Amino acid sequence: MDTLSYLGQGFGVALSPYNLVTALTGTLIGTVVGLLPGLGPINGVALLIPIAFALGLPPESALILLAAVYLGCEYGGRISSILLNIPGEASTVMTTLDGYPMARQGLAGVALSLSAWSSFIGAFIATCGMVLFAPLLAKWAIAFGPAEYFVLMVFAIVALGGMAGDKPLKTFIAALIGLFLSAVGIDANSGVYRFTGDSVHLADGIQFVVLVLGLFSISEILLLLEKTHHGHVAVKATGRMLFNFKEAASVFFVNIRCGLLGFFMGVLPGAGATLASAVAYMTEKRIAGDKGKFGKGDARGLAAPETAIGASCCGALVPMLTLGVPGSGTTAVMIGALTLYNITPGPLLFEQQPDIVWGLIASLFIANLMLIILNVPMIRVFTRILAVPNWALVPVIAIITAIGVYAVHATTFDLFLMVGIGIMGYILRKLDFPLSPILLGFILGGLMEQNLRRALSISNGELGILWSSPISMGVWVLVVCMLSLPLLRIWRKRALQRRAMADA
Amino acid sequence: MILQRLFALALLALCAVLAVMAWPYQAAFSYEPVGPRAYPLLMLGLMSLGLLYLAIRPTPIVRKDDEPELDRESLIKIAACVGLLLVFASTFEALGFILSAILVGVPMARLYGGRWLHSALVVVGMSLFLYWLFDRVMDVPLPLGLLDVLEN
Repeated sequence: MDTLSYLGQGFGVALSPYNLVTALTGTLIGTVVGLLPGLGPINGVALLIPIAFALGLPPESALILLAAVYLGCEYGGRISSILLNIPGEASTVMTTLDGYPMARQGLAGVALSLSAWSSFIGAFIATCGMVLFAPLLAKWAIAFGPAEYFVLMVFAIVALGGMAGDKPLKTFIAALIGLFLSAVGIDANSGVYRFTGDSVHLADGIQFVVLVLGLFSISEILLLLEKTHHGHVAVKATGRMLFNFKEAASVFFVNIRCGLLGFFMGVLPGAGATLASAVAYMTEKRIAGDKGKFGKGDARGLAAPETAIGASCCGALVPMLTLGVPGSGTTAVMIGALTLYNITPGPLLFEQQPDIVWGLIASLFIANLMLIILNVPMIRVFTRILAVPNWALVPVIAIITAIGVYAVHATTFDLFLMVGIGIMGYILRKLDFPLSPILLGFILGGLMEQNLRRALSISNGELGILWSSPISMGVWVLVVCMLSLPLLRIWRKRALQRRAMADA
Repeated sequence: MILQRLFALALLALCAVLAVMAWPYQAAFSYEPVGPRAYPLLMLGLMSLGLLYLAIRPTPIVRKDDEPELDRESLIKIAACVGLLLVFASTFEALGFILSAILVGVPMARLYGGRWLHSALVVVGMSLFLYWLFDRVMDVPLPLGLLDVLEN
């Protein structure tokens, strides 16, 4: 019952006129940012951190703004995948499979609003899950000591590699790069300057916003250079803008199933939206069997990945809010934002600052509703934005990125650092390294080192403390399972190949 | 493949250099068993292991369909773009936001295939608008630089 009253309190926070306007602005900005090539949820949210800070927004409003931008970006990405058949990011690949055919059949408006609706239901289910589980998890997490936290973070990193599928080694290396980068700067425990090269600007460490914008925006700008832009023609959104009751009813069970699935995938660190959407699509395709028109514009094929993405995005907030361990790139960015406000996510957040937690949860509901409503009048404007050519967009993106970086510390050193990181990000991308593990590693790195050192201080240097408690033992077992997942996959692939060879 | 090996080896060398850098990191006096050196060294060590494996057995790069092979022309363009970004960073404070954004933005728009006039119009307009939006409306201070004299 406590949680319900807290949730009510959260709605009170989110429904205040000030926060409603914030959420509306956030969804609008987010949608536009998500539409543009080269800007996705991660850099959209990162760009707004210094701005929200400069605007002097109170923490709960800032968090609501970021959450709204995040959802808006996801929605904007959907517009380009449905109307242009260009997935804005990995998680929306599945959306293009049935969304684009639907748009070509003249159902663009229906497809867009149905995807927003599915995502809303997904978020709704996940939020219910969050309301049920998060306080329990938070209560349980209080029993965690530094050793347990350290092991948990090892698990989060390993899970990234285990779940990533096709390139565990590169994911692992990327995460280690992030973990290492977090060590740059002054060491809080001993005051030793590490890897600063005697530069004052690095004494504080690498700024999170600089890292994110360099890695994602600058590298994307460079990537856009090599793609010859032909001016993709968007499918015109005409006719009905809103889905009807029959269409909503036909995907209702898909929504429920994929919502539950997405939530659990979201809670698991490392799995995230990409995997959730893929698994949801495949499962629904199998359930529909031959009767479905999957891949040719089946509404269920659109609803399944969208519900799963919506649910997993909210599910990812559970480990972030309760344990302080982010499970995805975007939640890593949100943790970065929270630390700017001197808020440490973790089990105590639920007790000490319920306004922030529940206000955030409530605003997720509201932002989702806003997106559905906005969709109807704004879709024509949004499709117009898709027609803006790259030559006009890219300089503006570069300039805004520079503003975002400059806003953090007002030094040009950060601008140079951003370009350097951008080049690095570009090279990594060309070599097929995933980038978001770097972010996750960067956020987890500081916590990981602190907890490791604290744990070893408690035991006076005895390594045994890292696996002495039942909780840490349990997590270590999970770590081993996760580590063996990619090996198992490789082994199975080899066995299949051998069988194919034998057949041939 | 060869590029990947080269990259892995280069990063491996960097790891070694960083490890040498990290070696003398020791607290003058300390109350804890683990000093500031252990964690970075641990990370570098693990990374080296991964990179070593990558150098020996590089994984094939999956190329997307719409991603053309890198040719000389794109490489030159990318170098030019990086150069422009560096110019932007170095003139940001000296020339001020508006002038440096125009200085860098117009050639950049040209790089992406815009015409001179169109690029100039869009970039000049956007720099003025963004300056107004961020500096005046949103309280993000941006340097005025040379245009300082115009104010007051």
